[in-house]
Amino acid sequence: MVESLRTKLLLWYTLIIGLIVLTFAIAVCYGFWRSLVEDVDRDLQTVAFVLVEGLRPSESGGVDLELSRQYREFIGRSPRTYYALLNGRGELIDWSDPDVQVPERTPLGVQNRDGRRELGLTAVNGAVVLVGQDMSEARGRVLALAEQVAATGVAVLLLSLAGGWFLTARALAPAARISRAATAMAQGDLSARIPIKGTENEFEHLAAVLNEAFDRLRLAADVQRRFTADASHELRTPLATLAAEFDWALSRERTSASYRECIETCRRASDRMRRIVDDLLTLARSDSDAVLIRREPVELAAAVREAVALLRSLAEQRGVTVVTRLETAWISGDSSQLVHLVLNLLKNAVEYNHHQGRVTIELRVGAGRAQLSVADTGIGIAASDLPYVFDRFYRADKARSGNGAGAGLGLAISKRIVEAHAGEIACQSTLGEGTTLNVRLPLIEPGSIKRS
Amino acid sequence: MRLLVVEDDADLAAALRKALEEEDFAVDVAADGDDGLFKVTHTAYDAVILDVMLPRLDGWNVLERARAAGSRTPVLLLTARDMIEDRVRGLNLGADDYLGKPFALTELIARVRAMIRRAYGGVSTVVTIGDLTIDTAAHTVLRGGGRVALTAREYTILELLVRSKGKLVTRSTIFEHIYDEDAEVLSNVVAVHIAALRRKLGMTLIRTCRGEGYVIDG
Repeated sequence: MVESLRTKLLLWYTLIIGLIVLTFAIAVCYGFWRSLVEDVDRDLQTVAFVLVEGLRPSESGGVDLELSRQYREFIGRSPRTYYALLNGRGELIDWSDPDVQVPERTPLGVQNRDGRRELGLTAVNGAVVLVGQDMSEARGRVLALAEQVAATGVAVLLLSLAGGWFLTARALAPAARISRAATAMAQGDLSARIPIKGTENEFEHLAAVLNEAFDRLRLAADVQRRFTADASHELRTPLATLAAEFDWALSRERTSASYRECIETCRRASDRMRRIVDDLLTLARSDSDAVLIRREPVELAAAVREAVALLRSLAEQRGVTVVTRLETAWISGDSSQLVHLVLNLLKNAVEYNHHQGRVTIELRVGAGRAQLSVADTGIGIAASDLPYVFDRFYRADKARSGNGAGAGLGLAISKRIVEAHAGEIACQSTLGEGTTLNVRLPLIEPGSIKRS
Repeated sequence: MRLLVVEDDADLAAALRKALEEEDFAVDVAADGDDGLFKVTHTAYDAVILDVMLPRLDGWNVLERARAAGSRTPVLLLTARDMIEDRVRGLNLGADDYLGKPFALTELIARVRAMIRRAYGGVSTVVTIGDLTIDTAAHTVLRGGGRVALTAREYTILELLVRSKGKLVTRSTIFEHIYDEDAEVLSNVVAVHIAALRRKLGMTLIRTCRGEGYVIDG
């Protein structure tokens, strides 16, 4: 594609230059011809006047030519100029060159005849002076010029063709580079990037944008790969439980109490798998969301209020009081993801809490950052588990594989969202007393907030 | 024989315990790597079934450290990851066998038995001593062609003594290999079982080394 664009450019460019050169050539040659013709006319006029002046009426009613010696010389000096004198009766009485053919009727004024330019003037007694010049020499000179101009024009054309070839190669080289990198990427080499040389031309901007797109592609591919690895991983343990229980149940006759217990274990395992699948899908969505995140001004306190409203009934059910102390905080990001973040933190705070426990949400602004903290008076997290709480699939309450235990993805998802918003998240906790999650997010410059 | 199952998923651990106890193994369970490492270095198990993904200390580390501490207990790695690299890594770290999840119970049990057999130096599953033919796969004992009925405990003690043929096995060792950590039994229970075995299989089979233990001569 680049090749044909280059050829097209070159052809058009050559066509235009060719037309310009042609026009120029024609103008030059024509201009030269006209100036030569003017010279000839001037010559003819001069000679014609001289002759007209030299005509004297004769006694017989005709005319006599009396030319001084200077005049004769003058006329003689114009080698291709010839003249013919006709008297009132149209008889040829004098001529410069016996070979000259005089026309039947001698028209007056300037005219071209047979490749010769002639001027006819009337004189005394109806005599007619005819002066003419052969134009073949002039024509020859114009042709010579035309040849030269043509040769030069062709040389110019060829040179500009060569120059154009070189220039288009240089100008379109970046396009070729971009095309190569994009092809490599499309064929599966996710590490292909367009080399950028630091010059500020138009292609560099395109290359930078494409490189960024390639980065996102690779990130998305990594996310997908990690998801399938995690999914396969996490589901295998409950599957192993099912397989073991089935094998055991079928290996011999059992009491119905044993069968019942076995079936209940299988039920728990299948529930666990369903939860893992749901959580994995959420994680995958949030992973890919983090790659394709929307960036608009979002008011964080509003997001917190929305999350609190959504969790109101669960909090009431568990007898947990939720208290908020919020300041207005504008950050750049995706409002639905931010609500999701607060929801996750809040859900943990409520679920891992005691009856009549308390959750305190604080949102403060300061030093260019919004500080959000979600503190609960719940069961807390052991110090040995604390470094791992944000890991995917990490569950502090390992022994509980029954109801209520998720796949351990809530905080991992929260961390993902916080990091996609260029923020930080940290967890403090004391076993038996409670847990506090602290989130810091960068604020937008107040001047750049556009209220939509 | 006594086994240690190191698996953090409580349901899977319970299913394994249930199935293995039915096969006359005594089973201890550890729910994380730290506990697992402690148990394996402080108790003489006949084999360990070790999950790779564990909290606190992962299975690889437990294996490496146990081997570094001198433990020769056979280890079967149980894992959700079944890539070649994982198998190689496990075997290089000192595992004796590797099984991916999910697995068939029968295969797990067979592999565990094979590991124990190899650890004791045995080659075949059928052992003959005098007029006794012991099929360690089927847990049956034939005496002079006739089937001898043994209780699970009796059989286990017999198998232990047979595998340690020619070597002295102390009473406490027998105790450790027959009962799991939660067992509450009387201290003379081993003597009781030995007496029963002698009654059923002949008085000359098992020799007492007074004050130390028992031995079946090879």
